[in-house]
Amino acid sequence: MSFFPRIRHLFRNLWRKQDQENELSSEISSYLDGLTDEKIAAGMNPERARREARVELGGIEQVKEQVREVQAGRWFETLAQDLRYGLRILVRNPGFSAMVALTLALGIGANTAIFSTVYGVLLRPLPYAHGGQLVVLHQQASHAQLANVPFSVKELFDYRDFNHSLDALVEYHSMTFLLLGDNSAERVQTAIVSANFFDVLGIKPLLGRTFLPSDDTPQADPVLVMSYEYWQHQGGDRNIVGKTFRMNDRPHTVIGVLPPFPQYPAQNDIYTPTVQCPFRSSAAVIGNRQARLLTVFGRLKPGVSLQSARADLSTVAHQVATSYPEIYPSSYGYAAVIAPLREELTQRARSTLLVLLGAAGFVLLIACANVANLLLARLLKREREFAIRTALGAGRLRLARQLLTETIVLALSGGLLGLALASPALSLLVKFAERFTARAAEVRIDGTVLAFTFLVSLATGVLFGLLPALSVGAPVSDALKQGSAQTTSGRGRQRLRAALVVLQIAVSFVLLIGAGLMLHSFLRLQKVDPGFSADRVLTLQLTPDFTHYAKPEQLRELGDNILGRIRAVGGIESAALATNFPFNPAGVTSGPGNIAFEIEGQPVSKGELAPQVDPTYVSPGYFETIRQPLLQGRLFSDHDDPEALKVGVINQVMARHRWPAEDPVGRRVSFDQGKTWIKIVGVVGDAREYGLDHPAKDEFYTPVAQSGVGTNLVVRTIVDPDRIAPIIRSALHDVDPYMAVDQVETLEHLRSESVASPRVTTILLGLFAALALVISTSGIVGIMALSVTQRTRELGIRMALGQSKSSVVQMVVRQGLAVAVAGTALGLVGAFSIGRLLSSLLFETSSTDAATFAAISLLFIAVAAFSCFVPARRATLIDPFTALRQE
Amino acid sequence: MAQEQTSLLQGTLDLLILKALALQEMHGLGISRRLEQITGGTFQVKPGSLFPALHRMEEEGWLTSSWGESENNRRAKYYRLTKVGQKQLATETERWGRISLAMAQALEAS
Repeated sequence: MSFFPRIRHLFRNLWRKQDQENELSSEISSYLDGLTDEKIAAGMNPERARREARVELGGIEQVKEQVREVQAGRWFETLAQDLRYGLRILVRNPGFSAMVALTLALGIGANTAIFSTVYGVLLRPLPYAHGGQLVVLHQQASHAQLANVPFSVKELFDYRDFNHSLDALVEYHSMTFLLLGDNSAERVQTAIVSANFFDVLGIKPLLGRTFLPSDDTPQADPVLVMSYEYWQHQGGDRNIVGKTFRMNDRPHTVIGVLPPFPQYPAQNDIYTPTVQCPFRSSAAVIGNRQARLLTVFGRLKPGVSLQSARADLSTVAHQVATSYPEIYPSSYGYAAVIAPLREELTQRARSTLLVLLGAAGFVLLIACANVANLLLARLLKREREFAIRTALGAGRLRLARQLLTETIVLALSGGLLGLALASPALSLLVKFAERFTARAAEVRIDGTVLAFTFLVSLATGVLFGLLPALSVGAPVSDALKQGSAQTTSGRGRQRLRAALVVLQIAVSFVLLIGAGLMLHSFLRLQKVDPGFSADRVLTLQLTPDFTHYAKPEQLRELGDNILGRIRAVGGIESAALATNFPFNPAGVTSGPGNIAFEIEGQPVSKGELAPQVDPTYVSPGYFETIRQPLLQGRLFSDHDDPEALKVGVINQVMARHRWPAEDPVGRRVSFDQGKTWIKIVGVVGDAREYGLDHPAKDEFYTPVAQSGVGTNLVVRTIVDPDRIAPIIRSALHDVDPYMAVDQVETLEHLRSESVASPRVTTILLGLFAALALVISTSGIVGIMALSVTQRTRELGIRMALGQSKSSVVQMVVRQGLAVAVAGTALGLVGAFSIGRLLSSLLFETSSTDAATFAAISLLFIAVAAFSCFVPARRATLIDPFTALRQE
Repeated sequence: MAQEQTSLLQGTLDLLILKALALQEMHGLGISRRLEQITGGTFQVKPGSLFPALHRMEEEGWLTSSWGESENNRRAKYYRLTKVGQKQLATETERWGRISLAMAQALEAS
């Protein structure tokens, strides 16, 4: 009820301060006048009356101050005073202030940058309409170790027709096609989607329109929608809608351009409806329940929970499985599961980002402890100031508040500086996060991040300001005694400072252990033998216009022409074509294939799990080119043509897995239920096809000539592969000017890319740990130096009484080491208990790796001993006479 | 923003000031004298208590003030009850009645 009058007074008190003050003065002097008048009327002489009136009033200034105390806005007044005073103190100690602000800026900057990434990737709602209701469907055959099987068209229709929990089902797959403009031929990553794709995601086009159901009918005119990025790449023509491009031998009209948005499931250049994909629309794919190529996602109906949708889909899966027992044998453990799209998009980034956020938080914690320590040290110098203020009537609370105001000002300026540091760091982090998630594009410093930084800075100020603030208010008399340099309150504070250093060391230790484990794991990863030789190998992806090579023999001829032409280029040792090669980015993304086969003489009975293998087609010369060694039998030659006996080569893992006791060479397997048989003619060494951290799986290689087409060209060069790349490009252009050539990379580069994320994680953690080590080392040095200064007199007496210099050094070092050992011990406990969080990021390294723990512990003790040594040496330089005369 | 619990003494002073101003507007010295008069000289309010109370009550919205001429032709600040102040007077009077009754009973009980 009294809120509004108070607000009104608050404004008046703050903004019309002078008026208010004048009015108060007049009111009080009018009271005084009135009182004097009374006394004169009672017969007193005027002078005496005035004096007695003043006595009765009891001090004009005191009354005024008492009135001010009750006025609204008093709080602001005090704050403004504290701020002014705090700023003055900070400006008077520029070195100290700059050091504190910089320490905090590093901590806050790191946290801001990493939080922006965490927020943009993990926390911010998806940029799609109803993002929270979007779910991805997976088929699983858990007994066959298949966690994510794509859908066939028939399966998609079953789930679309029988489920009760999803509003709409969207299908997606991606192919590479050749897009022919007026005078260009470009390989385009093409998303083939159902017409409702954009509606379900809630994406409105930037230009033109997206798909209508009528675009996805067999008679419809071919249309395409361009991604924003590809439109920009094409020149960003605002009149592009209505233009046509030839693709798969049909003219496709551009009907729209998408806005820039994180594309799900993957980045694509263009989008077309399902009927425009020659494979997806072929009767063979539509009619075959096992032609699985689709990614399927959908939107939960309003009010349907994830749990009930899961139950609903399990029912459908059961229905499907029982209807076609020969396709879904019970031994496969067939199931359908759904996962929220958000999890799906960010799963790979989660643990890395959270570990980094934790590390950044630790660095900030150490920075806080260090600053608190600096403040405590400085309080020693300000002890007299506080004692005088206490004597003049300042309360303990008032002093604590003054100190807190100072630290918060410091923290906020640190935060501001940190924000400036965060933005360049962020652009690096975004590049890093792109490796894990499409959402990296959404990372930016926005209102939420600013609020986070502000709150963190504020919390930081309170955190490192509270301890010193609570320790003020020493007994006044001691502090004021002349000439007493040390005060009795020093001891408790010294203990507090030691505790802070122990905390710093413990937290730094945990960070260093984390970085050490990552480094250990990374070195292990680097040492892994990939099973082939990556140096001087160039890889290129070729995309011919398949409509011109419709017949298998045409493709074969193209392959022969390509290899013939390339082998004629000077500086080339060997060349081959293959469907996949180690560290091929496309292969790494999709993972190994799982094709069922049958071993001659070991028929797979109905309902039994057939053996699975990852198939690769390679041309003769492939193994020689990447130097994957032959262990047994022979490799492919030009004689292994379509007319010859069908042959295959397996890797060692498969040989041991399927023929542990026998010789696999000469055995036969079939991929078509025994219609045709392939004879195994050789065994090659294991190559880590899908990344250094993925152990080789069963691989089956067949000659391109007998199986299909390989569109990856692999070339081993004699000279620098980067220099020869343009010559190879032009040679390929000679063979077919309409063939797109891209993803030209050296295998060495792909190999280094494959370990880029553990490398960057290691570097970042290493940086944080180094920062932590530097901060806590300075903490140890600081506390030891201060302790020596405070004990100057004691040490002087000891030396005067004959204690040797070396035993003084020992004494000081022992004291410092005690702190270091306590911190390390605490850190060990911490590292053991939270090291497990790292284990998902570690490669063949235990999160309690003894070597790492021992090395880091030793490092810490050594660093601590060294940082004690400097102040200890200073102690020996104390001249006993000067020390004793100090008092 | 009103304090939930006014202490007994402060509450007493507030109530007396409200009561003193119930009939007519008055300046500070007038209120002081009036309080002495109506309490039979028991309450002698010092300016150090009176003025903070007046300003606080004004900020609460119970009183409003304006400058005017005093009986001796001096400028003085006059305080007057607002509607809220009158309501507050009623509430406080009722509360005081309860408290004094309770106190009297408590002290009589042996």
